[in-house]
Amino acid sequence: MITESILELRNVSASYGAIEVLHDVTINVRKGEVVALLGPNGAGKTTTIKVACGLMRPISGSLHIAAQDVTGVPANALARVGVCTIPEGRGIFPNLYVRDNIIMAARDRAGIGIIEERSYARFPILKERRDQLAGTLSGGQQQMLSLARGLATDPVVLMLDEMSMGLAPLVVAELYEQVTAIAESGVSVLVVEQFARTVLGVADSAVVLSHGHVRYVGPADALDDETLSRAYLGS
Amino acid sequence: MNEGRVEEFTREIAALKTSGAKGDTEKRLLALGSLLMIAGVVLAVIGGVQVAGTTNAADQMAAIATGGLLGLVLAVVGAALFLRYSIGRFMRFWAIRLIHEHRSETDRVIAGK
Ligand SMILES: Nc1ncnc2c1ncn2[C@@H]1O[C@H](COP(=O)(O)OP(=O)(O)OP(=O)(O)O)[C@@H](O)[C@H]1O
Ligand SMILES: [Mg+2]
Repeated sequence: MITESILELRNVSASYGAIEVLHDVTINVRKGEVVALLGPNGAGKTTTIKVACGLMRPISGSLHIAAQDVTGVPANALARVGVCTIPEGRGIFPNLYVRDNIIMAARDRAGIGIIEERSYARFPILKERRDQLAGTLSGGQQQMLSLARGLATDPVVLMLDEMSMGLAPLVVAELYEQVTAIAESGVSVLVVEQFARTVLGVADSAVVLSHGHVRYVGPADALDDETLSRAYLGS
Repeated sequence: MNEGRVEEFTREIAALKTSGAKGDTEKRLLALGSLLMIAGVVLAVIGGVQVAGTTNAADQMAAIATGGLLGLVLAVVGAALFLRYSIGRFMRFWAIRLIHEHRSETDRVIAGK
């Protein structure tokens, strides 16, 4: 059943204090699908993620996960059952060993060996570096580690905020290859990126936000440069 | 992802909605702990007054049973609940704080290079 909806924001508006920054945003991620959420600086991409993971409560509209209304359920409760969010800036513990970073992230009581294998299967380089301090990894490897930490939670929903920030294109391509493989295993993925090209190659569908409004929703491969720049400019 | 993981996930999400916020249960147990402690002390005091107020040994025994023993048990159970849930909260805040300081320390070290 590739069509079942796993993550859905329905007509969501959200605000910081009195300033509304998301207006009537609707996004749908199905099982095993990669959805790219694009848009310029300040468009509201991170805010959308915050609503989707339960960190922020929308002022109107609703959040549905596995076809159930979970608006208002706190982020920690959602995270515990398998809604995994990897925030901007990685969120790893630089002073801990690679393997401790991974083990700490796990949500269940599967054996340590199983948890490590879940992560190393996709990132063999981390297995080689498992006894190294996380802070001494390269930027790309650190991003791999944050993905590996996500996988250690055995997620059903995975949200990635600006994963490619500060990384070389080749490294980014490698990371996205893994993201594709993760989605193929059945995980629903929502990826936020500011620069479109890298992610559009792997995404099934795309949503473009600008000034908190959805300007485009549709298949990723139908989003040509012209449509994209029109959507960015918000016309 | 394993077979059946999505079904498990769907069940867990449904359970989240019905069980509501967990923080509330914790607060309620903390309040219950405080109440039990107070009730225990009150029973003990009443028992003490009753014992002093009569010279009949049988009545004194009865007063010791409710006041002394029941009061003591309630106070101990209450104190255990109270400690369990107040320390749980405290430890969580403390752990978060440690992690936070650890990180800013690292940032400082890296920046100072
Ligand atoms: N904590 C906050 N308090 C007040 N306003 C905020 C806060 N966080 C974000 N904003 C505002 O909300 C709007 C959307 O911000 P958001 O971080 O969602 O954008 P973004 O699309 O993630 O941008 P970027 O590509 O720079 O990460 C911006 O105008 C921003 O200034
Ligand atoms: Mg952002």
